[in-house]
Amino acid sequence: MPSPVLQLTGLSKSYGHGDIFSGISFEVGSGKTIGLFGQSGSGKTTLGRCIMRIEEPSSGHILMQGQDLARMRPGKLRELRPSFQMIFQHPEVSLNPRMTLADSVAEPLMVHRGIGMEEALREIAPLIRRVGLRDEHLARYPHQLSGGEVQRAVLSRIFSLKPKIVVADEPTSMLDVSVQAQVLRLMQDLQKETGVSYVFISHDPDVMSVMCEETLWIEKGKGTLYDRFGFLERVKTQYSGAVPT
Amino acid sequence: MTLLSVQNLNVRFPTGEGTVHASRDVSFSMKSGEVLGLVGETGSGKSVIGQAIIRLLPTSASITGTIAFNGQELTTLQDDAMHALRGRSISLVPQNPSGSLDPLVRNGSQIGEIFIERGMEKKTAWEKACDLLVTVGLIPSDQIAKEYPHQLSGGMRQRLTTSIAIAENSHLIIADEPTKGLDYQARETTARVLSGIKTRDNASLLLITHDLYLAEHLCDWIAVLYAGEIVEVGPATQIFARPRHPYTQALMRAIPKNGLVPLEGQSPSLMAIPEGCCFADRCSCHSEVCKMIHPDLNQEPLIGGVRCHHPSCS
Repeated sequence: MPSPVLQLTGLSKSYGHGDIFSGISFEVGSGKTIGLFGQSGSGKTTLGRCIMRIEEPSSGHILMQGQDLARMRPGKLRELRPSFQMIFQHPEVSLNPRMTLADSVAEPLMVHRGIGMEEALREIAPLIRRVGLRDEHLARYPHQLSGGEVQRAVLSRIFSLKPKIVVADEPTSMLDVSVQAQVLRLMQDLQKETGVSYVFISHDPDVMSVMCEETLWIEKGKGTLYDRFGFLERVKTQYSGAVPT
Repeated sequence: MTLLSVQNLNVRFPTGEGTVHASRDVSFSMKSGEVLGLVGETGSGKSVIGQAIIRLLPTSASITGTIAFNGQELTTLQDDAMHALRGRSISLVPQNPSGSLDPLVRNGSQIGEIFIERGMEKKTAWEKACDLLVTVGLIPSDQIAKEYPHQLSGGMRQRLTTSIAIAENSHLIIADEPTKGLDYQARETTARVLSGIKTRDNASLLLITHDLYLAEHLCDWIAVLYAGEIVEVGPATQIFARPRHPYTQALMRAIPKNGLVPLEGQSPSLMAIPEGCCFADRCSCHSEVCKMIHPDLNQEPLIGGVRCHHPSCS
């Protein structure tokens, strides 16, 4: 069996008032998607942020291709940063409001590869077309774009770095149903083309079952792993169905 | 009895770059006790209709058409008479709860001040506020009532604004995206609260949403909006079982359980509305006539209507 791209063992996070989650373990293979499901406040976003080392886990290991991110020094972490990237829930605050879209999408390549704006834009041009943005979008500021357009721009930013893992924190929960379908399909296509692995965070069981082969259900700080079928069975028994799925 | 009748509503916003025609010739009516859902994508003009009814649009908006509520014309009503209707006869669950709550007022008082203004004792008002918090699933209500809005999650704030809207037994409640960003359980609670409105005497609900499951579950009638106009209207069961407009059909296919089929392309700019059918550029069934002639919404009683030259084509 090929070794996993990402492997968590016994990951815990606590603040002063107690554990957010503890003993979280799972692994995800190349080109696969694992879901993190739970109610608001269950700690799924914090877990995603710990994987990214935006927050410090309290204990446990985060192995990315054999290297432990949880214990990595900042310098080394910065070197590896292009390999693991995150897409955030709120498109309206995902991009710097004072930068045009061209500046925003070129920025990661300029920072991580030390190249100039023109070269970065030349390199990212095919990806910009790939995510469905046009040249006319590049001169605009984030507030002049729709939520779906911003999430596409974020995807082109992230994928310019050829990441191995993307943590997607409810990337479509603020989008309407037709734009949601566009963005999720685009994510699936990019996965097929690049072999990226996703850690997909959502509270929508339908989206979960479409996107994820496996789902970690987080409840009271503990995680239980389900395959697609098992997950849907649990959803059926857990919720009374005031809103049918 | 007809509670609300909107006829030929047009809302335009002048901007530096041109006029945004956000709502175009929108007509519908609602009976007492009925739930009407306005569905469609972001920017289709759903919220503008709700804001026009309760008269909360910015003063720059130019509005034509008529909005009759209980036989009273709202577009020409004096400000103080409109003020008297708001919150008493017509309530709004606003889309942005964070911007709608006073950050310096305790959660309990946000609800309680409504009762105090009506002359209720402070203590009784506080108790009633706590009861309403329980109704929308915000427990322990005693503790939450003492907290401030910033101490609640986005979903909890959303339910707090819902509880404020149902505090008065309004005849009409306009709920603007009441489940946006809510998790599954919070969504169920909100759905239960909103369906409670249905069962109350003569209360009607205008549900503005892109949550199609919620719309299917709660609504008697659905109006589908695209580029500022109604493209299909009909009984909810029919819209979901047999959608006739190609846009409605595409919306249904985009639902995850129906295959997550994306609708490619973008809706037209509301500053440059095409001459013919607004959906023609994205429609697989379009013909020459669609590009040239704007289709009418051919309405039939009990069935509804569809604004399409080739309905049920796919």
